Amino acid sequence: MADPLLRIEDLTVDYEVGAGTFHALQDVSFEMTPGRVAGIVGETGCGKSTLAHAIPRLLREPPARIRRGKIWFRGIDLLALPKWKLPLARGTAVSMIFQEPINSLNPAYRVYDQLVEAVRIRKMRETGRSPVLFTDAQPHDYSRTPAPKASEVLKRPFAPSLPRGKMRRPAGFSRDELRSDVLEYLRLVRINDPETILNLYPHELSGGMRQRIMIAMALSEKPSLLIADEPTSALDITIQAQVLTLMKELMEEVRTSILFISHDLGVIAEMADDVGVMYAGHLVEFGPVDEVYSSPRHPYTKALLRSVPKQYKDQGPLPSLPGSVPNLSNLPTGCTFHPRCPLAQNLCAREPGPPLEPAKGARSSDHRAACYFSEEVASLA
Amino acid sequence: MGRNPSDLVVFVGKRLVQLVAVLFGVVTITFFFTHIAIPNPCNVWSGPRATEATIQLCIHNNDLDKPPLTQYFSYLSKLVTGDWGTSPLGVPVLPTILSRFPQTLELVLTALLFMILLGIPLGVVAANNSGRWQDHIVRTFYLSGWATPTYLGGVILSIAIGPALGLPRTGAFSSFPTFPEPFHMSVLDALVNLNFAAAADAVLHLILPASALAFINLGIATRMTRTSMLEVLPMDYVKTAKIKGLSDFLVLYKHALRNSLISTTTILGITAGGLLSTTVVIEEIFVWPGIGAYAFDAITKYNFNGTIGVVIFFAIGVVVANLVADVLYGLLDPRVEWR
Repeated sequence: MADPLLRIEDLTVDYEVGAGTFHALQDVSFEMTPGRVAGIVGETGCGKSTLAHAIPRLLREPPARIRRGKIWFRGIDLLALPKWKLPLARGTAVSMIFQEPINSLNPAYRVYDQLVEAVRIRKMRETGRSPVLFTDAQPHDYSRTPAPKASEVLKRPFAPSLPRGKMRRPAGFSRDELRSDVLEYLRLVRINDPETILNLYPHELSGGMRQRIMIAMALSEKPSLLIADEPTSALDITIQAQVLTLMKELMEEVRTSILFISHDLGVIAEMADDVGVMYAGHLVEFGPVDEVYSSPRHPYTKALLRSVPKQYKDQGPLPSLPGSVPNLSNLPTGCTFHPRCPLAQNLCAREPGPPLEPAKGARSSDHRAACYFSEEVASLA
Repeated sequence: MGRNPSDLVVFVGKRLVQLVAVLFGVVTITFFFTHIAIPNPCNVWSGPRATEATIQLCIHNNDLDKPPLTQYFSYLSKLVTGDWGTSPLGVPVLPTILSRFPQTLELVLTALLFMILLGIPLGVVAANNSGRWQDHIVRTFYLSGWATPTYLGGVILSIAIGPALGLPRTGAFSSFPTFPEPFHMSVLDALVNLNFAAAADAVLHLILPASALAFINLGIATRMTRTSMLEVLPMDYVKTAKIKGLSDFLVLYKHALRNSLISTTTILGITAGGLLSTTVVIEEIFVWPGIGAYAFDAITKYNFNGTIGVVIFFAIGVVVANLVADVLYGLLDPRVEWR
């Protein structure tokens, strides 16, 4: 197996607010292989978004607090980066699309001005005019190039490299050069009339259009990892389908690694190669998507899958999971899922849930579950 | 959707028409206040040793024996023809104000510049570090300015801080300018005469009164910027700016501040109008040859024509400051339509 693109170890994040401490993420660990799409699925408030924001260090601290853990990205622990180096980890390394396209573009600037910033940053880094986090070439297309080796942080000096012999700032990129790049990415996201769109302000565009522009912006930096945090949840159902189709097509075209966050099991099945299931701040199961869906190894995953309605079939009331999601500021002792778990034993209430480990009886060793009784899950109705 | 440049022209035009109505109201109110509060100023105008005959002559010459409404209409008809009357000593009002108002404008604009260059970044720093020590220091700084009475702040600057820094405390120049003053703005006049020594001197003279004016009103700009930055910083587009890989500086000042400025501009427009009236005290303390000191003088000497003239200029200043703020508001926020 190739070097992991992203390896998260024991990531634990709390929110400290007036009402108490909310344990948003607890000991979350998983790996992402280059070129694959990993989905993270879970209910509202299970910590999906916190996980997505923690990777490019976008959490607002305070109130968020990263208690422990490591986020290894191409061999660098993003959590160990000093604050001033954080911008270098963003954009060309990790990029992100947000949930609400309505708010994710700056209302004060034209579409062109916002897109060109991203293009300029990428070009500056590509040409070595601004410092970069990874000195080795950034293969955008993992299907054709081998995974990059882990490299040390910032081999390059901080000052932008100057053209030898002359003490002057390197010339900028020509307007046409930048503009054609911006237009290229707008066409990539299937915008028919990019020239007009460029001169508009975000408030003059529809939600679906804005999300396309966000996708174009993220891709224009050729990120090694693209995080999509519920990119379609805030859109109309028809627009949702359009944007998902677009993303699906783009995945084939650019083959970047994607971490796809969603609460929709169907969307994840459609988009992702691997899937992680989260419950109350814990990653309870992780594995190849078809395997997790066909033979779940955690009772929560099992219950979640059972509650998905089958199309066109009247099968009586949908099965639902008894009980409710625990309050993140007051988690149950032991395994957080045990009060709702049909397999719970004394052990589950006493001992904290086990770490994510290769599920017993699973077909592949990549299929991991955090349950003492993962073998018995198959026997559940 | 979208805006035309013609919208802006119509908007400004409408506001200028409104200005006429505002001025009419202001003139009317000031006229009746002065003339009814002090029905017979001739006792003062004629001096302490005036005879009954001179006082009677003064009353007659100034139409003070006529009913107030008659006086009002005759004053108004002269006002619109450009005859703003004279002071009791016979100095024409309009030329005096025209030569002094730019000097006040210079002071107010400098103070505004201080407020923008210092107050807004302080607000950004406070918001970006909200709840931390930087925030507390900034808050202490601007609240102390806010809580300081104008006269006290001015006097402290004049007698304590000014001498300590070796800054000149009175007037606009060290010696009376010998060059022509086409603009009646000390720095500008010295510059157009290419007299750079005088220009530097004028700048030094400007520092204390402008700082006094700015320090007292700084809190509004800082607090408004801080508050709106706190609203803007959690927005998704700030995250978008960060995830692009922009530096913290650009994220804060290009993306977040740009949107926070929208409310700060409105407040600054209102404050700029208010600064004009604060100059009455500040100019008196720093012996600044502007309209504020003239207003003080006119009021204390029952100079009705002068008082009304000053009030007209203050009213124009307030309306124009708000107009500029509204235009800037639309320029800063493309979603706003000028109406």
